[in-house]
Amino acid sequence: MPENQPAAGKKRLILNLFEMNCVSHITHGLWRLPGNNRERHNDIEYWTELARLLESGGFDAVFLADVIGTYDVFRGSAETSIRQGLQIPNNDPAMVVPAMAAVTRHLGFGITFSTTYEPPFAWARRLSTLDHLTKGRVGWNIVTSYLPNAARNFGLDGEVDHDKRYEIADEYLDVLYKLWEGSWDDDAIIADRDNNVFADPAKIRPIFHEGTYFKVEGPHLPSPSRQRTPVLFSATASPAGTRFAGKHTEVVFTGGASADFLRQTIAGIRKAAVEAGRRAEDIKFVTQASVIVGRTAAQARAKRERYERLTDPEGYLAHASLPFDPSAFPPETKLKDIVGANGGTGRWHAFNPEQTAGEFLAGFGNFSRRPLFASGTPSEVADAIEVWLDDVGIDGINLTQYHSYDTARDFIELVAPVLRERGRLRTSYDPDESLRDRIFGAGDRLPDRHYAARYRGGAFLPAPERAGALTA
Amino acid sequence: MPPGWGAVKGKGGRPCTCQSPGVTSTFAVPPAACVADQSGRYRPVPPKLRPRHPRTGHPNALSPSPETPLSDVTSAPPRPLHFAAFVMNTTGHIIQGTWRRPAAHQANFNDLDHWVSLARLLERGKFDAVFFADVVGLYAPYRGDERKYFEAGLQVPSNDPSVLASALAYVTEHLGIAFTASVLQEHPFNFARRISTLDHASKGRIAWNIVTNYLPNASRNFGLDGLTKHDERYAWADEYVDVTYKLWEGSWEEDALRQDRAAGIHADYGKVHRIFHEGPRYKVEGPHLVSPSPQRTPLLFQAGASEAGRTFAAKNAEAVFITAPNLAAASRDTTDIRARAVRHGRRPDDIKFFQGLFVVPAATEAEAKRKAAELDDWIDWDGQISHMSGSLGIDFGFDDLDTPLGELKTEGVQSAVGWIKDLVPDRPATLRDVARFTASNTRIVGTPEQIADKLARWQAAGVDGVNLINAEIPGSYEDFVDHVAPELQRRGLMQREYAAGTLRNKLFGRGDRLPGRHPAARYRGAFAPQPVSQSVSQSA
Repeated sequence: MPENQPAAGKKRLILNLFEMNCVSHITHGLWRLPGNNRERHNDIEYWTELARLLESGGFDAVFLADVIGTYDVFRGSAETSIRQGLQIPNNDPAMVVPAMAAVTRHLGFGITFSTTYEPPFAWARRLSTLDHLTKGRVGWNIVTSYLPNAARNFGLDGEVDHDKRYEIADEYLDVLYKLWEGSWDDDAIIADRDNNVFADPAKIRPIFHEGTYFKVEGPHLPSPSRQRTPVLFSATASPAGTRFAGKHTEVVFTGGASADFLRQTIAGIRKAAVEAGRRAEDIKFVTQASVIVGRTAAQARAKRERYERLTDPEGYLAHASLPFDPSAFPPETKLKDIVGANGGTGRWHAFNPEQTAGEFLAGFGNFSRRPLFASGTPSEVADAIEVWLDDVGIDGINLTQYHSYDTARDFIELVAPVLRERGRLRTSYDPDESLRDRIFGAGDRLPDRHYAARYRGGAFLPAPERAGALTA
Repeated sequence: MPPGWGAVKGKGGRPCTCQSPGVTSTFAVPPAACVADQSGRYRPVPPKLRPRHPRTGHPNALSPSPETPLSDVTSAPPRPLHFAAFVMNTTGHIIQGTWRRPAAHQANFNDLDHWVSLARLLERGKFDAVFFADVVGLYAPYRGDERKYFEAGLQVPSNDPSVLASALAYVTEHLGIAFTASVLQEHPFNFARRISTLDHASKGRIAWNIVTNYLPNASRNFGLDGLTKHDERYAWADEYVDVTYKLWEGSWEEDALRQDRAAGIHADYGKVHRIFHEGPRYKVEGPHLVSPSPQRTPLLFQAGASEAGRTFAAKNAEAVFITAPNLAAASRDTTDIRARAVRHGRRPDDIKFFQGLFVVPAATEAEAKRKAAELDDWIDWDGQISHMSGSLGIDFGFDDLDTPLGELKTEGVQSAVGWIKDLVPDRPATLRDVARFTASNTRIVGTPEQIADKLARWQAAGVDGVNLINAEIPGSYEDFVDHVAPELQRRGLMQREYAAGTLRNKLFGRGDRLPGRHPAARYRGAFAPQPVSQSVSQSA
């Protein structure tokens, strides 16, 4: 334990790899880089090799993004996405975790799953199964889905309204807390061989949830897993998302165009946490960050130029679901003239209306314009990360992959040793620690002040006499 | 009547004190392992101390099964039977009480290593597949509530079996991985994607056991008020598989994935199609998110032998899991379903039948019988009845063991009712028959040679494979792999080496994909005239 305590006053970096079970996740065009393994995502060996690599380098977790639809807004079709492998094909992230768990002992797994389209009972069970199998190394990135095509894959005519999605998510979480925290007591499993009693029915209860969106009887089918509730991630900064994070989230995955924006987001969500009866420090902030490192500045520069050269702006436009096509106009056309004064904004790429189409497109091939980007020698990169930690106020990063596995390998070989010297990164894993304990250092379970804790022991659930006979 | 259970009947039983402290039980009938102490209260008795049955010598014994007449084994050259290990991600699957045996590890089901080592054992033994059963709710009340299931660990707690698949695929090379998933539990779009992900991860070794749901609690876990009517459940399943077929077979053309780095083309846009499914229950646009996996459609398993279930199997299934009580029933059922398949444009041999069997092997017959009797000492017969009771949705918990079942009409497992009646064609079936059916009727006790003889007879009755039930993990499978498999292999009744390719190819030897006459095949190329671009909603 002592050697993993951060040096006095120094914040230790939470280090995750940002991944997705697809070819082109967020660095569009780069799947074509020589030696890139992205096309192997269908192979389970891609994931087991990656997991071993990350664990060898002391990563805290692999964070798996996901979508359940296709990007088909840009140019009114999915053509760009399909041509570029832009998150299609994409595979279920949860399904590759057990194989990664089988070849590691410490690596955590952040799995994205949407609360909008699937019944909560089966997902609660799948996560508990994963938490059992990994011995408490699972986190869930709660998303509400934003793709219109995703909605149409699940029988709806279009997207559910943003705030309503959060309302659904809030009730969804409520169902899951009841199943995870309330349905089984810690000592329900007796496994008394002599008396032929495996579990004590008095310590297991249905949840009888009846709400606006869900009706779930229970009991939860798996027994309590190590963390019970997996580590809860979420990623939004909208007002509804901020309230949601304040109440539920333990690790906020956030981003923004500037350090100032990030600082505001962090302050806003910490405030929401306090308003929800939690402590400001109950939430950690992890941002997407990008690192290109070389042994020398020249090496780093050459690598960066290689990556920038293969970058395909159209992938970013499609990914952003841009409702207009800047490449269809002469490069000197200003964006405001393309979309009009009240034109749409892309989902993630807020843009300056005074920019020309040409500047806008060129920007995608210029990595330095991205927030939380560091390129250079190991010590230069480490300097930047220390600024992010201390000045911007983040707690960790989801490392953008330009190249699989070079990005992770470079970080492990070049950056991690410098961060360790500076007391910014763990020097070893603590044996047998859960993901939550690793991040917060306060045990395997959610703190008592978290909303979910209210259901422990069956409190806030229907009375035991009703629970005794489900069908009475 | 064996002492200890059934001795007290009706609803006026004494309270049992062998439950957890502080719990007031209102059991009408004490559990099997209880006897009344001097104060008249019931206390648990360790198995070894229980009074023994006067005739068979073990405490909970049932009267022996009448010897089933066996048809003659044909003289056709032997072909290998297929073998699957019938397991569940839980403590008490089919044979209750045996989790307590000293070497039994099934209570470790939360642990990944437990399953990894089983998968390796099965692959060493040249098993075709591991087959995971599943339910997504509690069985219907027994003696008025669900207490028994928790106490027995009877399929609760239980974990999602699909989640094990990628790890098992990683540690094996050939073993098929079959898991059960109900149409109730997940939207077909997401389910199709999970299956395709796993079929990629396993390089084509995934099978899906398609089930509806017969447990009211499971329905209520998914927002319904109760069980969907039997035939309606199969209509639901029909549409569910239809959606998945469209996604698996029709959405991506074979050569859609180009992965051309130089040209910067990952997939060919013109060869990826939306499915635009609209049916009574589902509306699914597509395209499928996963590129074609080795099998595309996983190997399709099905169980359930009601009228609607047989029709569904005849149309869709490539492997049918049966639990025929005897050879005659196996012959009748396999013949019937094959004939139905032909009426649906398929061939009789398009379906493989897996019979659920449990074997107790030993070097000598006497030793095998001793092992079987010793095993019976551990079986929780009350648990066996509760399982059947809860499946049927009829609470047998208050009834005498010799009560005839009468004409049962239930929304539960219709097929089981017929099978129970088959057990004793000459007289009305009783609860005693139910217990025997669930634990010991399809049990083969003997030397490896005797077991091989019997398996050959099952094969002659139309069965293509065995879904091997366990009393303990890994012991039941170790016994089989180390003692029975060599004899079967010597006779050509079990494969010595795996065939190449996907699970489908290993079983049928006709390639990785469904044959063209399967209903899923109609969607191949069916969506090509509607490229994705033509129908995209612009309303973002």
